[in-house]
Amino acid sequence: MVDQKLSVPRYWRRIPQYYRLEGVQCVKCGRIYYPPRAVCECGSREFRAYPLPSVGKLINYTVLYSVPSEFEKMKPLVIGIVDLGGVRVMGQIVDCPDPSKLSPGIDVEVVFRMVKMDGNYGIINYGYKFRPLNSC
Amino acid sequence: MFNTTGVYIVASSLVQGGRHYEKGLKELFAESFLKALDNAGNPGVGAIYVANAFAESLQDQGVLGAYLADYVGLRKTPAIRIEGGDGSSGLAFLEAYNMIRSGIYDCVAVSGVEKMSDVTSIRLNKALATITDYEYEGFFGVTPAAISALAMKEYMSKYNYDYEDMAIWPVKMHERGSANPLAYMRRKISLKDVMDSEVVSEPLRLYDTAPAVDGAGTVILCNKPLKNDAVVRVDGVGVGSNGTYIGQRSELTMLHSVADATNMALRMANTEVGSVNAVEVHDTYSILGILALESMGITRPGETPRALSLGQLDPGGRVVVNASGGLKSMGFPGGASGMYELVSMHMELMGTKPFDNLNAEVGLVQDMSGFDLTSTVILLRRVS
Ligand SMILES: [Zn+2]
Repeated sequence: MVDQKLSVPRYWRRIPQYYRLEGVQCVKCGRIYYPPRAVCECGSREFRAYPLPSVGKLINYTVLYSVPSEFEKMKPLVIGIVDLGGVRVMGQIVDCPDPSKLSPGIDVEVVFRMVKMDGNYGIINYGYKFRPLNSC
Repeated sequence: MFNTTGVYIVASSLVQGGRHYEKGLKELFAESFLKALDNAGNPGVGAIYVANAFAESLQDQGVLGAYLADYVGLRKTPAIRIEGGDGSSGLAFLEAYNMIRSGIYDCVAVSGVEKMSDVTSIRLNKALATITDYEYEGFFGVTPAAISALAMKEYMSKYNYDYEDMAIWPVKMHERGSANPLAYMRRKISLKDVMDSEVVSEPLRLYDTAPAVDGAGTVILCNKPLKNDAVVRVDGVGVGSNGTYIGQRSELTMLHSVADATNMALRMANTEVGSVNAVEVHDTYSILGILALESMGITRPGETPRALSLGQLDPGGRVVVNASGGLKSMGFPGGASGMYELVSMHMELMGTKPFDNLNAEVGLVQDMSGFDLTSTVILLRRVS
């Protein structure tokens, strides 16, 4: 039996976030949230869509060796926190064969990649990852 | 502000953490529940609060409360399961406490039970991923260990520590665990053992993580002490939260849910952190134990590894931290973890062997879900 990782509708409804890194901006006070939320800290419930910028800075990262099963073929994973125009996003850092060359403060860009593949019957999940602008 | 009805822990019991292949959830629960009930002199309990995080994913079992109560012959006793990830026990304790304070029941039981060894590590890891924000963290491969590693790295760079400095936590916990007959890990380790262990998520190593175990623990709470000798009274409870998505945090070296829960518990008990003699913190990863102490105000920010290596938090000092050996040496039984800490603290305050030399009167127990999601802090006092 295939252990399906994520159902189609569950994945489908997150496409604006996974494909375009779409957060929300409060219409009243201008705060930006990623992931989106329903109520702002100022109390307002009115938001507009706000795609995050595609270039930012690496804040911190770790090299994860003990990975969830669906990432076994990609290990180790580099997991980082990235600042995109003042909003912090967590995700994988890719295209970096030598993670020891990474350091906080370097420039990274958002790239669109396969996140995981779901066996015989499932779907292929795509989403954002981050790539250092200068090789590493 | 608060009424004067007291809440007392009148008995406790713990099943040693381990791989209990021959026992299921109900056998583990019954073992700890019946022992605690016997220790209390078999008062009737009005309700049972069951802390458990993963029964659906690991045992395919829902409606856990009713299923467990029936097994111990209490089919007419309401049994309510509380799920708050690995912080379930503190939350279950809070519910039980409220029921006594409100006068609804005279005595209730709080049990934590979890079986981590029923499944392969792949399925266990999947269950553990539920204590991250799955759509935005788990989906991309982020695990609780990776989040703790990020916090550890930030802490080391902020306070200028090397990994060797941080390794004092597992060394101290194993040292304490070696004297605790209820510990799962009862072997002292050296700095070299820690340094040689495999990297889980750099800089975090295998020895920085509490080993997953099966386990169960129970405390019986009543509105009056059932015996005339020393008893333990619940003087304060606190709870705090700090959002989910880790990316939204401006820093990872302060656990705000722990700070809020501590302040609430101290305020309720009308006391200060300086009066505390014993602390049990939720050290699923070394760094979480360190950050919990600093967020509670037991140690100053950035000071904990140094204080530990100077022996300032050892038994016999002003305040002893994790006299039990912590989850690092007792093991990590998921949603029952906080019950391990609570029962240990009960023993520490009662002076039960091997904690008969602590002379602690006031203790704090800190439990937490995930990385600073929801935390509880309970202040216990030995009274005569
Ligand atoms: Zn706003």
